[in-house]
Amino acid sequence: MSVRNRSRGWLGAGGLLLAALLTGCASNGPVNLPIVSTANAAMPVGVVQGSLAVPSAPPAPTCNNPTASLRPPASMPAAGAMPAGTTMARIAARGYLIAGVDQNTYLFGYRDPKTNAIEGFDIDMAHYVAKAIFGDPSRVQFKAITSAQRVPELKNGQVDIIARTMTISCARLADVNFSTVYYDASQRLLVPATSSVTDISQLGGKKICAASGSDSLGHIAAVPTHPIPVAVGDWSDCLVMLQQGEVAGVSTDDTILAGMVAQDPNTKIVGPSIADEPYGLAMPKQDTDFVSFVNGVLDGIRTSGQWTQSYQTWIGDRIAGGSDQPPAAQYSN
Amino acid sequence: MVTATAPAAQDNAEGKTRGTVLAGLPTNLAASLRGFAATTPGRLSVAMVGLILLSLLTGIVGIFTGQTRVNTLDDLTQHREPVSAAAQQIYRALSDADATAASAFLSGAVEPDNLRAQYNADIAQAGAALAVAATDSADTANVQDVVPSLTVLETDLPVYTGIVERAAANNAEGYPVGSAYLREADGLMQNTLLPAARNLYKTDITSLDAQQDEATSVPWVGAVLLLALLVALFLTQRFLARRTNRMLNIGLLVASIAMVLTLLWSAVGLILTGVHVSNARSSGSDLVAQLSQARTDALQARSDEILNLVARGGENYDPQFHSLANELGGKDGTGGLLGAVQSTSQDQTMSGEIDNAISAAKSWFAEHNTVQNLNNTGDYPNAVSETLSSASDGEATMVAKLDNALDKAITQGRTVFADETNSASAALFGWPIGVLVLAVLAAVGSAIGIWQRLREYR
Repeated sequence: MSVRNRSRGWLGAGGLLLAALLTGCASNGPVNLPIVSTANAAMPVGVVQGSLAVPSAPPAPTCNNPTASLRPPASMPAAGAMPAGTTMARIAARGYLIAGVDQNTYLFGYRDPKTNAIEGFDIDMAHYVAKAIFGDPSRVQFKAITSAQRVPELKNGQVDIIARTMTISCARLADVNFSTVYYDASQRLLVPATSSVTDISQLGGKKICAASGSDSLGHIAAVPTHPIPVAVGDWSDCLVMLQQGEVAGVSTDDTILAGMVAQDPNTKIVGPSIADEPYGLAMPKQDTDFVSFVNGVLDGIRTSGQWTQSYQTWIGDRIAGGSDQPPAAQYSN
Repeated sequence: MVTATAPAAQDNAEGKTRGTVLAGLPTNLAASLRGFAATTPGRLSVAMVGLILLSLLTGIVGIFTGQTRVNTLDDLTQHREPVSAAAQQIYRALSDADATAASAFLSGAVEPDNLRAQYNADIAQAGAALAVAATDSADTANVQDVVPSLTVLETDLPVYTGIVERAAANNAEGYPVGSAYLREADGLMQNTLLPAARNLYKTDITSLDAQQDEATSVPWVGAVLLLALLVALFLTQRFLARRTNRMLNIGLLVASIAMVLTLLWSAVGLILTGVHVSNARSSGSDLVAQLSQARTDALQARSDEILNLVARGGENYDPQFHSLANELGGKDGTGGLLGAVQSTSQDQTMSGEIDNAISAAKSWFAEHNTVQNLNNTGDYPNAVSETLSSASDGEATMVAKLDNALDKAITQGRTVFADETNSASAALFGWPIGVLVLAVLAAVGSAIGIWQRLREYR
């Protein structure tokens, strides 16, 4: 019968199709499973690697004796009695000093999670300045900023003073004013305790971390064996990257590195000094009266023993070969 | 095919004339057919077979279309909506985990038990919802959109939790590197996990929308067949009336009534379905989508607000807070998504919850400005304690109230969606099988009606 024949034809066609589908599937073998051999490692936000990390600084300007600052006034005004019209009087009228500081550099400027207070050697310096203006060391508002924000914050008048492991340099002197040297640091290298590296030149082609906008990046890039500089927002991000195995080392001031060793005993500071890093308190370029005043404050704590006290509190014996005696002041006038 | 042979076989057994004709088919098909079709009985035979086939085809297409439609509607409530709700849960749980981890961190070296428990619950919730959302990767048309998002979520969530634990461990020691780990975790959440969750949710919402469209589309094939059948029935009856002078043919009349009933039933059923699905969309899924966005906006704004204090000016999260808060509730909590939902919602329960949400958002935004002023004037400790305050009018309480109200509003929206979609499905109760039964009735009516006339030509 035609109908039956036709239906057999349909069945036949269907059977062929089914067979084709079955064999088609069979020839593919088992369904492929996803194979993951590497995963994207998490990194701090805003990491920049390679030459882009190095601030595109024009050839470093030279200047005469950058660490020499303005001489303190012949007689320091008494706390709470700032001469009218001065920068100090403006700050006194506001009721508090605004200091740009770090919150993530252990020992120098960091937030104690237990008390929520910002503490450290740099913080002590800001408290000494506040005490000299108000007679009360607590009259200071800390504004946590990154390394890169230091100069812009001063230029925009967002802060009165920066106490944030800031190295005095001729380039920066073009934009801001520095106090006398309040701490003499040097750039060195931090590596895992198990590392056999003893000098930064052995890390050619390897990644070395430093905070963006810092001098350390330029010094890393200048090493002849060409390590790869990696820039991060905060110094503490460098320790994160070292602990996560994303960089071979961290190179910056021994003061900051000492704080990292204190947070992670599985790291060590190695190698000779890569660069001298004299720290100064930075102030807006035009506030020369304030610079003299701060130099007077620093002079006071050098002689009173308060400087040594702060050194022993925060640094103590954490930096081998460190001295608990303040660096001598140099003046340009 | 098989059904079609039955009447033909019957003809063979009972009508000799047509038996001969059929037997001649293979040899002289065209000529015989043409000759036979020219006679009245021939025409009637053709009409009968045609009507029977068309009726049965209409019935088969009808039950298939109808059942597919019912399945689509049931799948909306049983699978599609739960999957998009799961995606919303992932998005919400991750946002809350991020805000809670930051709160716990900001609370100090010892994490408060309730925050730790909330964070753990959020992560567990995200994992469980991820399992539900993953069921979609096998059977969706959007598989290429869903799988990458799911992969990111499933591979990076454990990484996120690991970093958060590392942040907490360092924070407990008082090490500032803990803050760096927390910021890294937040970066992973905001830049990788939440965008993936958001993408997953958007894909699921698009699928839901598409499926709602599918459930209310006009079944053209069935409609054309039905109309063709009605026209054929009318023409056959007119032909019979002219040839036989009998105005009524009971069999064909029954067939016609059956098809008119099918038409009416289908029209009413589909219109009701359309109305219910449209309600499910406008008073249900659309509002749920807006509310879900509002909820995650609130939690992400909360994260930014807290991270602003964790970062302590190192990184400024305040612009992000304001842009999220603005999307959530406009300047003062009464605009944005909250205002939009409030003006569209017609459900009393939902409107009540939205009112609660708006009042919580108002207090929160006001309190946020107070905290910002405290922080800007250097009173950091008070800014922290105000931000974390769980007093009855504290910020943490306000955020929890807002989240809770939105949760209830979302649940209400989902209930409306489920009720309306179930009503849409109920409007089609019995329709698929009914269409088939009526079509068989039409086939039988046509057969009997025409057979009675054919018998007179013996």
